[in-house]
Amino acid sequence: MFLGIRSKAFALGALLAASAAAWAADGAGDLGPIASRDWSYAKAAHLLERAGFGGTPEEVARYAALAPEAAVRRLVRSKDVPNPLPAFDESDIHDPGLEPFPVSRPAATDRAKETGESMGVKVKPAGNRRLQPVADKFFYWLRASRLETHRMSYWWANRMLLTERPLEEKMALFWHGHFANSEEKIRDYRKLLMQIRLFQEKGTGNFRDLMIGVAQDPAMLAFLDAGVNVKGAPNENFAREIMELFTMGVGNYTEKDIREAARAFTGWNFKDLTFVIDPERHDDSVKNVLGQSGNFDGVEVIDVILAQPVTADYLAAKIYRYFVRQEITPELRKQLGAVLRDSNYELAPLLETIFLSKDFYSAAATGTRIKPPVELVVGTYRKMGLKEVPGVPDFNDVTEALGQKLFYPPTVAGWANGKSWITPGLLLTRGNFVYDIVFPDINFLPPDRYPGGDYQIAIVNDKLAQGYDVTTATKPDAKEVTSMSMQVDRDEDFNTRLASYRGWQTALQKVKPIPRATAKLDLSEMVLAAGSRNTREAVDYLVARFLSVEVDGGTRQRIAEFLSRELGTSELAGTETFLEEPLRLTLHLILSLPEYQLG
Amino acid sequence: MNKMNANKIWTRREILRAGLAGFGTAAMPLVFSRGAAAAEAAASNRILVVLEMSGGNDGLNTLVPYGDDAYYRHRPHIGIRPEKLLKVDEHFGFNPGMAGFERLYKDGKMAVVHGCGYAQPSFSHFTSMAYWHTGAPNSGEEYGWVGRLADAIDPKLTPNFIVNIDEVQSLAVRAKDHVPVVFDDPNTFGRKGMYQTRPLLDHVDENPDAANASQRYLLDVAKSAREASQLVRDAWTKYKTPVDYGIAAIDLPKVASLIAAGMPTRLYYTSFRHNAFDTHVQQSDLHQRLLTYTADAVAGFMKDMERIGRADDVAVMVFSEFGRRVPENTSLGTDHGTANHMYLIGRNVRGGQFGTPSNLSELDEGDNLQFTTDFRRVYATVIEGWLGYRDSQRLFSQRFETFPVFA
Repeated sequence: MFLGIRSKAFALGALLAASAAAWAADGAGDLGPIASRDWSYAKAAHLLERAGFGGTPEEVARYAALAPEAAVRRLVRSKDVPNPLPAFDESDIHDPGLEPFPVSRPAATDRAKETGESMGVKVKPAGNRRLQPVADKFFYWLRASRLETHRMSYWWANRMLLTERPLEEKMALFWHGHFANSEEKIRDYRKLLMQIRLFQEKGTGNFRDLMIGVAQDPAMLAFLDAGVNVKGAPNENFAREIMELFTMGVGNYTEKDIREAARAFTGWNFKDLTFVIDPERHDDSVKNVLGQSGNFDGVEVIDVILAQPVTADYLAAKIYRYFVRQEITPELRKQLGAVLRDSNYELAPLLETIFLSKDFYSAAATGTRIKPPVELVVGTYRKMGLKEVPGVPDFNDVTEALGQKLFYPPTVAGWANGKSWITPGLLLTRGNFVYDIVFPDINFLPPDRYPGGDYQIAIVNDKLAQGYDVTTATKPDAKEVTSMSMQVDRDEDFNTRLASYRGWQTALQKVKPIPRATAKLDLSEMVLAAGSRNTREAVDYLVARFLSVEVDGGTRQRIAEFLSRELGTSELAGTETFLEEPLRLTLHLILSLPEYQLG
Repeated sequence: MNKMNANKIWTRREILRAGLAGFGTAAMPLVFSRGAAAAEAAASNRILVVLEMSGGNDGLNTLVPYGDDAYYRHRPHIGIRPEKLLKVDEHFGFNPGMAGFERLYKDGKMAVVHGCGYAQPSFSHFTSMAYWHTGAPNSGEEYGWVGRLADAIDPKLTPNFIVNIDEVQSLAVRAKDHVPVVFDDPNTFGRKGMYQTRPLLDHVDENPDAANASQRYLLDVAKSAREASQLVRDAWTKYKTPVDYGIAAIDLPKVASLIAAGMPTRLYYTSFRHNAFDTHVQQSDLHQRLLTYTADAVAGFMKDMERIGRADDVAVMVFSEFGRRVPENTSLGTDHGTANHMYLIGRNVRGGQFGTPSNLSELDEGDNLQFTTDFRRVYATVIEGWLGYRDSQRLFSQRFETFPVFA
């Protein structure tokens, strides 16, 4: 199988050679595989950087010792590589009564008013705030699911850090940006966990399986409002995004195609964590989609879409642009699309073609990719040789500040890649992330234990303890309230602020805390073990270990001089007992070079 | 225009005080700039603030055509009853949440332009927004209209000429030559670093051997970050205002702080972010809330400009990537549509309504409004009428007739 793919890629290369288009002398544009004799430590480092999250010198050496085909195969066809990583350790926060979870707080309390119960909580028979327990429960789940999602991103980041199958996680991350669903709308970590596991399991398999899996995935169905797409009143959101973002790209279908396809998906829905089709709500009549007509259901529409030549081109180009470079020539797009199409949407042959190609190792493709934030953060930890993602700084806060918080993509289109990761503000934030690892903030408060600031409920906590009535305790801070409402505890169905407070309180009790160890970093040990004898060698070693592009000699010399000044000597022998702090300052300097953003 | 005021931010003393002196001649008065059109625009100190309502704002429920029965026929459930509206004339009334816009309109400080859109509209958020960002629908234009405008009117590349407040850079400000200042939170717009590393940290953007285009891009951004971050943080720290911008101020107080600090920025770009206006389901309460935030923030901003004496120098332009379909959907929301209003706000704006409202009884085959005004006419209006650059044709490769909005 593997050889067949290789020769196919090679044949494609030959085809291109015969055509008028010529590739650059170093192989840019050439999908033919690189020769074994050209394989090197640097190329293995490039492969791990792109197909994974970067490697330590030891990992790179292991891949460099393999033949290029074997190195790439180990990454692409990794299901038999042992990878003993723990499953997500859930906090046990969900109970069946929560389902179906109301779309909003008004919906939750309205349901309780009508039926006497909501989310498994009964309305109190009499007294003030009869609906309070219902409102409490609603906010409890919002808070708990959010906190659990934050734990889940730690779990996933630790997988990225420790995995023996880096491409499996990298493709899962790619698909998370491609099928971009956000906890902000889904509000159920369990659905997102299922979805990520789908990406991990099928992300390097067959795209048709993956696409159908996603189309029937409760998170996606919830995210794109499948529930309101019913016979006689189709909602186009789902069908539009499938065509525009997931398979074909804009401009390759008509508005009518979307309306017709939407009918094929009518009745598709989810019940808790299960995909269901409601036959009563499914439109079973003939649809005309992309020139085909038939009594299509959703899967058949997906097959119609996959039969479009542009679909394979679109997907292959998106994968290429993610892993190789932002610019893709029409020729490459066509050739890579053909690889995907000819393999019936198996992803492995496409990935192997890309990662073995001369194009992938050409100058235009090396050290030119701006690392997306999650890759920057995980890659930094990996290159530091850490064995767990530090709790300080907080992984979610850091990645959010850098613009890529897991499980919270900004829109249904996911994250824009390339230059858009970098602005003046974000570039500084990237440097500050490094500072916060090497000099952990001693004022750090774990955001999953101290929610008060963002939600203005800390004060509610204190005032209730001081015996204030609920109306007074929940009064918005620093705002004048009319004397009427100041007098006594108001009569009301429920108090939203109190519910928010209680929701947090219960969530904090139930959701397990995130461990808050700082990075176990020993730079002295690192550079001494590498054999560095003086400051210049130490700087050269750190630059080579962490950066993917050359740094000019003058800059390295200035940093070495800085380290020498801090140490009081340029020789490392005898500095062991006070070497760590100056090395941390030095690493901060090195990783503050704009070049560190390139992989 | 106030002549004294016009010169104010360009005096040597002011430049020193704002901490700009280190940036050399680029911050000096631009009397030597090439091209008469550029010179005229450059001599002005007028500021444009663009605010986008991302997600496709439902224009029909924003400025409601209550005088048209067709509106209520298409929207039996989510149409807003006349008695609830903030009426501005016999035909139109603002959404009940928009007291801020009603006041601006009645004070004659707001121009509404009807029926803005473009031919062969896209119903994709991303595509349509990209068309508005580039000002080049159905083309592959690489740079944004604000970026191209900056390159045209400021060939000397004044640092901090464009400020874009957002998590990521908008395509609208992407320029061939200018490097826009992009940040989100002014408090964190700075580099951490210990005293002894500062001299080196200040030179991280000077690699003479930069080998590839990505590397050069990063170095340019690093330079811009170094030049801008101190100014922005200082401006934000010093800025105090008694003006109420409402519950979600968007990013307009940040803009106000930079204007108050005398930044040489002429073009500000902000967004009501994250597709907020994409109201497919049960939209009424949510939509009204979003509009309240928008109207309060814009009204607060203009009031703040009055307070600091810059109201004559600032105009705000508000738009969204498309309107929404005329008939409501079955989920008490609305789907992606076409033509929409644009709003121009400022003391120097000639208030009132411009352009022709789209006809609710002559929808296209997708039940959408037909546009009556190419949105680039409004861009051309602010470029020529407000910013004083007479050659907007060069930016759009075609001539767009301007509206007489600016005195």
